[in-house]
Amino acid sequence: MRTAHREIGHDEFDPVGTLTLVIGYFLLLVVLWIFVYFVEFLGRELTVVGVVV
Amino acid sequence: MNVHDYEKLWIGLSMVLIVLFIGSITYGSVVAGVVMIDDAADPVDPDALGDHPDFGDPGVTQTGEDTYEVHVVAFHPGFNPDVIEVPANSTVTFHVTSMDVIHSFSIVGTNANSMVIPGEVSSMTVELGAPNRYGIVCNEYCGEFHHLMEGELVVVPEDEFELEADE
Amino acid sequence: MSTYVEQFPAEARLVRSAMYTAFVALGLGAAFGLLQVLHRTNVLRVIDSTDYYTILTLHGVLLVLTFTIFFLVAIFTWAITTSLDRPLPDHRFSWTWYGLMTGGTVLAAIPIVGGLIDQIDMSAAVLFTFYAPLQAHWLFYVGLALFVVGTWLAGVDWIRTYLAWRREHPDERIPLPTFMVLTTMGFWYLSSVGVALSVLVFLLPWSLGIFEHVNALLTRTMFWYFGHAVVYFWLMPTYLLWYLLLPKVAGGKLFSDPLARIVFVLFLLLSTPTGIHHQYLDPGIAEGFKYVAMTNTMFLLLPSLLTAFTVVASIEHGARQRGGTGRLRWLGALPWRDPVFTGMALAGVMFAAAGFSGIVNAGLNVNYLVHNTFWVVGHFHLTVGTAVALTFMAASYWFLPQVTGKPLWGRPLALGQVLLWFLGMTFMSNAMHRGGLAGIPRRTAEPQYNFSFEPAIGSVAELDAQVVLGGTLLFLSTVLFLTVVLGTLRGGVDPTRIPANTYAAALSEAEDGPRILDNLRLWVLIAVVLVILAYAFPIAAIVDRSGWLGPGGSPYPQVVWVVEYLVVALALR
Repeated sequence: MRTAHREIGHDEFDPVGTLTLVIGYFLLLVVLWIFVYFVEFLGRELTVVGVVV
Repeated sequence: MNVHDYEKLWIGLSMVLIVLFIGSITYGSVVAGVVMIDDAADPVDPDALGDHPDFGDPGVTQTGEDTYEVHVVAFHPGFNPDVIEVPANSTVTFHVTSMDVIHSFSIVGTNANSMVIPGEVSSMTVELGAPNRYGIVCNEYCGEFHHLMEGELVVVPEDEFELEADE
Repeated sequence: MSTYVEQFPAEARLVRSAMYTAFVALGLGAAFGLLQVLHRTNVLRVIDSTDYYTILTLHGVLLVLTFTIFFLVAIFTWAITTSLDRPLPDHRFSWTWYGLMTGGTVLAAIPIVGGLIDQIDMSAAVLFTFYAPLQAHWLFYVGLALFVVGTWLAGVDWIRTYLAWRREHPDERIPLPTFMVLTTMGFWYLSSVGVALSVLVFLLPWSLGIFEHVNALLTRTMFWYFGHAVVYFWLMPTYLLWYLLLPKVAGGKLFSDPLARIVFVLFLLLSTPTGIHHQYLDPGIAEGFKYVAMTNTMFLLLPSLLTAFTVVASIEHGARQRGGTGRLRWLGALPWRDPVFTGMALAGVMFAAAGFSGIVNAGLNVNYLVHNTFWVVGHFHLTVGTAVALTFMAASYWFLPQVTGKPLWGRPLALGQVLLWFLGMTFMSNAMHRGGLAGIPRRTAEPQYNFSFEPAIGSVAELDAQVVLGGTLLFLSTVLFLTVVLGTLRGGVDPTRIPANTYAAALSEAEDGPRILDNLRLWVLIAVVLVILAYAFPIAAIVDRSGWLGPGGSPYPQVVWVVEYLVVALALR
């Protein structure tokens, strides 16, 4: 079942797939954050602006 | 330490994310002017709210040309007053406290949302726009009738607004 | 090479017992969860709405305290004994802490269940957070205290095992699994002291009538001093499994041992001084303290983002060793038919999504948008409800054979089970997040009011349908899980068909990291300093405002109180 086809050592392994996935995640976080913070949150009414009285 | 170049890049990007988040939150505070509920109001005795100058007779009071204060007492399971009527295009400060357990005062679909803790007063100021109706809920579990706890904020046109006379 | 039960038969018995207790809690908790989704959405109401909160208390306590922490002690006992290759020093001591934890759970459960039975004058419908002045029967607080003391003694057991090993191996690096256990216990002691003090000094005497009132804001702050760290207490055994078991079942090696150590040190340092981020909307706490908690919390993203890279790279290493190629095509070379791998990998995907909703929760002012809404429920069903729970279930398919000597029964069912959980949670949590943005509150029996909620897209009916569908699938998945467990236990012992008890080796090994990483005394000391910096001033300010026992107020519920205010409420309507 889990037979390794080949042994890959530390110096011959570049996790390029991992880098691709985490950069995708980075972009997703930035887009979602901008949407929730600046559109959903700051775009809403009745925002608490500090005690006037 | 033996950190792969890609992982170093990722650590850098992670720091960018953290700076972005803290930066936008600071922008929200400093530029957009969003203020957190804080410790500005003095504590009150939850057992003696009836004797309190404001919470003894909760409701809407006018404090300036377009500014109003609303004192609200939360209890299980309701708000007093449960219907709050205020004029459009005004600035309203809510002061909410509890006479029993922890509640919340949350105006549904808006950013006005605060915990209500016995002994403490939650003060928050919001700017109202056009006439509208909003539901108010308690979103902190407060007892077996928690789900019955609701109120309403009615923003009426300025010319239809009248302060209720003290009973 | 042999199985765990052959190497450590006595410890295997302890691990088995802890796991079975966890599974019983999981089954009950899931059944209560199903009752809740059907009730909230008004699809089927078999209990009174007033009893909903007792069911919710049971759901919360059984799943986030009993299920997770019993599984944790099982995993940590395995991790210590396997990586140090030595048994626990004193089995009577080990069974004592196990007994305290079990006894504490039962004692706490008695008054909660008592709340459902009219003839018993006891109740503890106070939910997992038990905020005063909501009051539970004193037995609830005693049970809770015993449970926590049990976990402390478990930690003592593991530390003793480590110290005995250290005497024989003075110059060796701490094995990674043991390192993970010790750092986790470091912040567990530090944070659970808060809730223990709150319970023993304030809540228990108050429930016995010794004090008339307590300071609601103070006890709430002490709860959250512990309440955020406890989520990392659930998460650390999950991370341990992602670092040690997941790379192995993927066919690879852990990408970096030193980075794993850095991650655990960061959790030790930052888990506790962040609790005030649960109190962003509390009156009586200055904005500055909230801002500090926010920045601490944001830096706590770092260890999780590092984990994302290290764990995915370890999996990629496995895929490439299995012959995977290409920028992303290697994903296809992973053992997706193995429920252990697939369950843990999908749990990781869900945790990435939870990362985003967590950042919003942590975001100080943006918390106005989501605080105490259904969004938060969606968030923690992705974290503790999937990242943790699904990882534990998937890992059980590896651990059960290890601790019983019986091969896994019903492997295709097990694969179906983890997929079903992922699918169910996708429906349920996405609807919960969207419902939260529309303002639907959490923790309520009947979120149906005189006004209506208006989701930006879709409708409340559609969100409810997704919650019911998701919740039902999750319940079925739990039933499947328990079926596989029982099927496995009914099978015969056959160690030859079970993989040996090992964990993933590292590509970059412990020796590549500086020795200071293993200086646990130093890290604990810094953690204590950070906690004092984060909490001394807020606590002093709270006590300065209203005293240790608060400005007044009575315990609830009171019979008179309920009747009186029901009348008031009806009159007001």
